[in-house]
Amino acid sequence: MKRRTFLAGTAATALTTPAIAQTSKKLTFLSWNIVDQADLFKTWFAEFGKLHPGVEIEWLDKKGPDLPPFYQTQLAAGTPPDVVDLQGGIGVEYAAQGALLDLTPYLAKQPDVKARFNADYLGNWVWEGKNWLVPFYVAKSLLFYNKSLFKKAGIEAPATSFDELLTQAEKIGAGGGDQTGFLTLNFDWLYWALFRMNDVELLTPDLKQPAFDTPKMIETIERLAKGTAGTAINKISWTGRWVEPLGAFASGQVGMLNAHSSAYFFLKGQGAWINPDTLGVAELPGNWSVPTLHGYGISKGTKDPDLAWAFVEFCTAKKQAQEMADNRRILTGYTEVDDTLMDRIKGQEPLAYAVLKTQLEHTDKLCGNWPLPSDSRVKDAFYPELQNALLGRKDAKTAMKEASRKVARELRRA
Amino acid sequence: MRKLWWRHAALIVISIIMLAPFYWLLKTAITSENIYEYPPHLLPVRPQLFNFVDVWYLIPFPRYLFNSIVVSLIAVAGNLVLNAMAGFALTLPFVGRRSVIVLLLSCTLIPFQATIIPAYLITAHLGLLDSYLGLALPLLSTIVCIFIFKASFDAVPRSLIDAARIDGLGEMRILLRVMLPLSTPAIATNIVLSFIWSWNNFLWPLIITRSQDMQTLPLGLARFLSYMEDTTGALYAFVVMVLAPGLLVFLMAQSAFMRGLTTGATKG
Amino acid sequence: MRSRRRATVIACFLAPSLLIFIVYRILPLVWNVVLSFEYWSPLHPATWAGLDNYQEMLQDDDVFWLALWNTLIFLGSQPVAIALALGIALLVNSDLKGASVYRTIVFLSYPLMTVAVAIIWHWMYNERGGLINYALRQLGIIHQPIAFLDSFAWALPSIIIANTWQVLGFFMIVLLSGLQNIPPHLYEAARVDGAPAWARFFRITLPMLRPSVFLCLVIGMLNSFSAFDLIYVMTNGGPGHATELLITYIYKQGFVSTRFDYAAALTVAQFAILLLLTWIAHRAVGGNAGAIE
Repeated sequence: MKRRTFLAGTAATALTTPAIAQTSKKLTFLSWNIVDQADLFKTWFAEFGKLHPGVEIEWLDKKGPDLPPFYQTQLAAGTPPDVVDLQGGIGVEYAAQGALLDLTPYLAKQPDVKARFNADYLGNWVWEGKNWLVPFYVAKSLLFYNKSLFKKAGIEAPATSFDELLTQAEKIGAGGGDQTGFLTLNFDWLYWALFRMNDVELLTPDLKQPAFDTPKMIETIERLAKGTAGTAINKISWTGRWVEPLGAFASGQVGMLNAHSSAYFFLKGQGAWINPDTLGVAELPGNWSVPTLHGYGISKGTKDPDLAWAFVEFCTAKKQAQEMADNRRILTGYTEVDDTLMDRIKGQEPLAYAVLKTQLEHTDKLCGNWPLPSDSRVKDAFYPELQNALLGRKDAKTAMKEASRKVARELRRA
Repeated sequence: MRKLWWRHAALIVISIIMLAPFYWLLKTAITSENIYEYPPHLLPVRPQLFNFVDVWYLIPFPRYLFNSIVVSLIAVAGNLVLNAMAGFALTLPFVGRRSVIVLLLSCTLIPFQATIIPAYLITAHLGLLDSYLGLALPLLSTIVCIFIFKASFDAVPRSLIDAARIDGLGEMRILLRVMLPLSTPAIATNIVLSFIWSWNNFLWPLIITRSQDMQTLPLGLARFLSYMEDTTGALYAFVVMVLAPGLLVFLMAQSAFMRGLTTGATKG
Repeated sequence: MRSRRRATVIACFLAPSLLIFIVYRILPLVWNVVLSFEYWSPLHPATWAGLDNYQEMLQDDDVFWLALWNTLIFLGSQPVAIALALGIALLVNSDLKGASVYRTIVFLSYPLMTVAVAIIWHWMYNERGGLINYALRQLGIIHQPIAFLDSFAWALPSIIIANTWQVLGFFMIVLLSGLQNIPPHLYEAARVDGAPAWARFFRITLPMLRPSVFLCLVIGMLNSFSAFDLIYVMTNGGPGHATELLITYIYKQGFVSTRFDYAAALTVAQFAILLLLTWIAHRAVGGNAGAIE
């Protein structure tokens, strides 16, 4: 009782606190770890201010792990940032929490804005039939491979089936030294394509029940675990975060890497060996891939939803998106902009071109992107068990039974 | 004589182990090699200070440094005044003294991470978000330091205090004229500990600062990581720059500080 | 009259500090206690949950038990650190030449920012550029590098070592002061009685050090329940939940999974456990935790 009045009181005073009430209108934009684009953003804010006189943009940037505590405290205080850049599944989670504004009416009113985006990427943030975020910049997973190691192992082309993938990994891993065949990133659901290509589904189509505890899943895990116990699959696949696995691949001792396109620039910076003759890129078998996307959302608590939308519309407009794409060598999900970028780099940067090209193809084969209100909880219930099985700390059957129970519990609770 | 030699040997080994991380940090910070090269070089290859220059240009270092200093100074001042007063009060007999002590001690059992939301709401209520005072407020008084003062005051001879009372000195004057002059080690300990704690605080500034102009050095560390990840020597150069001021304060005050810590810890 | 005036003075002296603790400690604790019996997240009005959160924690959440277990292991490492610190304190507690230099060196790691300590040790453990793997390989102790922080077996011990490195100096200073407060005549008497060195240590030094050891234990305990920054930066609780402590789990439940209500129940549980442990430690040193009071 007491707390509730206390919360309400706090929210009320927070609104009248001088720091927040300004004579001119202020719009707050919270971005997710993109300080390197500070100069670009500043020109955008200035331009936006010209279009909307008296509007000032307050820009905040937080690193990924630091963003949730910041955003949640702002929510609790009733002062959420008006526009927020969110990555991956967290967008749907916040939407389900009631934190975000439904963007469907805006997109319906302005079909030209909706038409900007690749429908598959835009569709990533549809939950309960509504759009919650629009693309800021996009990436999905692909297969990087070390052409020299392929040649050494006598492999001609990247695999087109799971079986072939494992065989190739074994061949490369048998090359001696520190050599291993295959490596994948594991954060979010980035590894999920490996299971999707084996026709394993995590959940039932209504997303209400776990559906992964099947013989096919067990078999897939057992084969991956066997590869991990040997040299076919690098162990960092299941434990490392970002720097460790990419560093391992960049050292030139790993045959294949499943990572999203942003990894390319990191690899290029780290591995002196990387050039079009030594690094190959391809889709994983079945063309499955897992997206890691950034999108703009609007907080429901914003005082001026229309102005916030105007800002989102401005940032995703052709000029701005193009600047973003060119600056960062990144795709924006704005179809026309991305095509322009591709044309521009085609001749000059063949490798970057090849990497980005994969991101525009087979966008209908995205997986590991369920719109789950409890995505992080499900992930937390599922992954440690899978990890146990893959590292041979538990047998696959027991682990999956456990995981299934835990995931079901989280889904029930949500 | 032989025994002494053995002691030195043991202590030298311990010192090497304790200093090794410092050395490795410094070595990486001034190195221009690829830091992931194996085997790593024990000595820096082509030592240079370029990493430090990088840091200087990527982070508004002077601004962050200034903010950290201001916040720490407020925290240190607050700790000196409030802790000395509270510590002195606890040396006097009064009803409920025991409950106050139990209350204070149980406060140390509450982790900060679990208090973020209410603490934020309260600070917002006070209108202190994104301000130096708001940054320093939760750290303005610390329990351990109160007890360090209390222990130091307890050690002041009773007769001295009684004499002062007979001379008609009020409590405030007793504190200022008798207690504090005899408690320089406790003061030093208070300064160093409250400085360190405020200087090192990470989560709280992360939550309550908004503008770039209010960011403190630990946030600079996070900002830096978002530019570079941990892939170059520059990160370690930045760590050196963040750690240096705190170490400097400690080294300057160390002898008094250690004495203060020791009297506070076990007397009384 | 006089005593009333003094009461006013005492109240005025205590008030500012107490106010800060009430506002930033007690109120949040009350908030957590209330919240632990509710369903709530920002934007969702609170509804009564009864004991649901506690039931889930105790019956249904193995990560809670794992985190508790890890916290206890972390706690169990503190006496080891204290013993090490005692050894060092005994070594430097004499008119040994350069004793103060050794003391400073051992203490030097304590004032460091924990986030920075985490970054340094993360780097020390690195497979390629790290000093530890390099040294172990050079000495022929291992042949393949170990990914310490990614290993289920090694991650927690590795973090404990980093933590020990940081707090060792603090323990040493506290114990050193305890040693210096032992009246020398006790040792002389024992020497006259012909007691050997080990007997002097166990019969005089250790018993006389009880308050200092108690203080170290309490601080070590608090430290084990609040070692957040170190883990947040080094492993974030992984691999799996191998380095999950209660405090990191509370944080994750609250801010990553947006379950502030459940995190509140965990907080209350942690608080209760700490109270219990403090009480046990208090009893263990003979009922009077005089070290602090």
